[in-house]
Amino acid sequence: MEVQKEAQRIMTLSVWKMYHSRMQRGGLRLHRSLQLSLVMRSARELYLSAKVEAQEPEVPLPPARSPDPCLHPPREAEAAVEVAPCDGEQPSPEPMDTQETPRAEETSARSAQRPAKVSRKRRSCSLSDGGDAALVPSKKARLEEEEEEERASSDVLDRLQPPPAQAEGAFPNLARVLQRRFSGLLNCSPAAPPTAPPACEAKPACRPADNMLNVLVRAVVAF
Amino acid sequence: MLVCQGPGIGSVTHKSTWALGARTKKWLLADVISTVEFSHSGDLLATGDKGGRVVIFQREQENKSRPHSRGEYNVYSTFQSHEPEFDYLKSLEIEEKINKIRWLPQQGAARFLLSTNDKTIKLWKISERDKRAEGYNLKDEDGRLRDPLRITALRVPILKPMDLMVEASPRRIFANAHTYHINSISVNSDHETYLSADDLRINLWHLEITDRSFNIVDIKPANMEELTEVITAAEFHPHQCNVLVYSSSKGTIRLCDMRSSALCDRHSKFFEEPEDPSSRSFFSEIISSVSDVKFSHSGRYMMTRDYLSVKVWDLNMESRPVETHQVHEYLRSKLCSLYENDCIFDKFECCWNGSDRNGTSDTPGKVWKEPYLQLPLRKKIPRSSNRIAAEKVTRGLKCASNSLQLDTYVLLKPS
Repeated sequence: MEVQKEAQRIMTLSVWKMYHSRMQRGGLRLHRSLQLSLVMRSARELYLSAKVEAQEPEVPLPPARSPDPCLHPPREAEAAVEVAPCDGEQPSPEPMDTQETPRAEETSARSAQRPAKVSRKRRSCSLSDGGDAALVPSKKARLEEEEEEERASSDVLDRLQPPPAQAEGAFPNLARVLQRRFSGLLNCSPAAPPTAPPACEAKPACRPADNMLNVLVRAVVAF
Repeated sequence: MLVCQGPGIGSVTHKSTWALGARTKKWLLADVISTVEFSHSGDLLATGDKGGRVVIFQREQENKSRPHSRGEYNVYSTFQSHEPEFDYLKSLEIEEKINKIRWLPQQGAARFLLSTNDKTIKLWKISERDKRAEGYNLKDEDGRLRDPLRITALRVPILKPMDLMVEASPRRIFANAHTYHINSISVNSDHETYLSADDLRINLWHLEITDRSFNIVDIKPANMEELTEVITAAEFHPHQCNVLVYSSSKGTIRLCDMRSSALCDRHSKFFEEPEDPSSRSFFSEIISSVSDVKFSHSGRYMMTRDYLSVKVWDLNMESRPVETHQVHEYLRSKLCSLYENDCIFDKFECCWNGSDRNGTSDTPGKVWKEPYLQLPLRKKIPRSSNRIAAEKVTRGLKCASNSLQLDTYVLLKPS
């Protein structure tokens, strides 16, 4: 548990550092970003393996949704690789749990934010994609999120440094997601843009702390 | 962190920045020194700071009345090398901080150095003027033109001594060749070319030609998401003008021979020490990154600096270094805190002394002795101190080209 907390702390710290490095004079430093991403990756692996160890003695959770057969093999392989270092003798049903539990966490986080959008479709997870513009997996969800966030954070975005095409830098997708996610979360002040429609005020600006953490963790886990 | 300020620097001849520092006893962020470099003879020391200035110190001449004064360095020249710029295309500010300074070998009375910030390299000529011509025919002493009809006799102007004036003038500007941030420059032994290295590419320049450069190393992957390592330092061999080395963030060093092909993406030698699995930790990848690589004067060895150690390599053996020195091993248990306060990203440098018998590296407060390499005591400079750290420059620094040991070396506060 301690290990898990520590890994999570380091992950959030890395994300914070990465975001703030973009605001520095001189622009994004490639070497620094690379080092931060390496630490984030190690922290993520540690977090996931610690989570697996913590989940081991529990009864396997029933799957949240029916597994998509074509996505099964690569996910299983990936999960098996993650599980293997910590415990080599795990029987084959166990990898199913490791698949389901991180995704259950992700999906529960997502559903907490969009209660109206319950979908029975299994979303492809970026764990198998290798971070390929799939931090928010399904097209539909991303579009809706974009709409909502854009209204609330457009003013904030204007005030920020114009984002890259300087995603000619490394990690363009992560950069874009960080831009989208954290422009609202981290740059908001109590004097939120007055032109933002009141319905959206609650969304990026005043998210409760645990949801923020979920978003951060989700971004990191997906990365 | 090294901050030069105040009256501790021998006799201060340049009043502007330093006197202000002495009065207020404060230092500005722009005064933080970002790079230092001795000239080849060791009589000049150039420092670059975050504000884009270059300050050159000169060693005091031997003086019988003050026998201990040799080894003190006085301010010789100050000039603004780089200004902050703005890249309109990418909407990015280009910092004026000087990343590296390299002296050119002296060929005449004037001295030349290359200074670089993140994007632009400049060649500066530093020349002295200590004589003034007097007795012109066509103009008066105050510069007014004389009436030609009133000139009845001709005279030969004579040179009269004047106060030493040191002038720095930009001779070449090498710009627009780097997409990423320049981290190294290195003058070739042919004295005609030099290289500049950024995170992913190394370019070869000719000192006379500013409008083009040749790309000799390119490690940029086709898909940036697959990026795993960057170039951290590069240097030319001291004698073989076709050989260069570059180090990477993964702790490897590659030696390239420019005769083998135009693009040296494939190395000729690959130096890597196998990782010790027992010391693997969370931050292993960060601390294994090589921050500096320097050839010995003989060209037979090279020294590399990573976060916790200095390694000496024999160019004939790629499998492991011939010597490894743990510089501050006590920090290994504190890596997490160092990550939190960003100190784990500090980049240290290293250098050989003149006889190649000793090496030194900037590091706080550690004495290390080794049978073959005797390394000097380092003095710890407290971070928050207003102390005149320049005394370390004056007291400790000795000529780099003879066989004296360096007592202390300037600590660099990195980016």
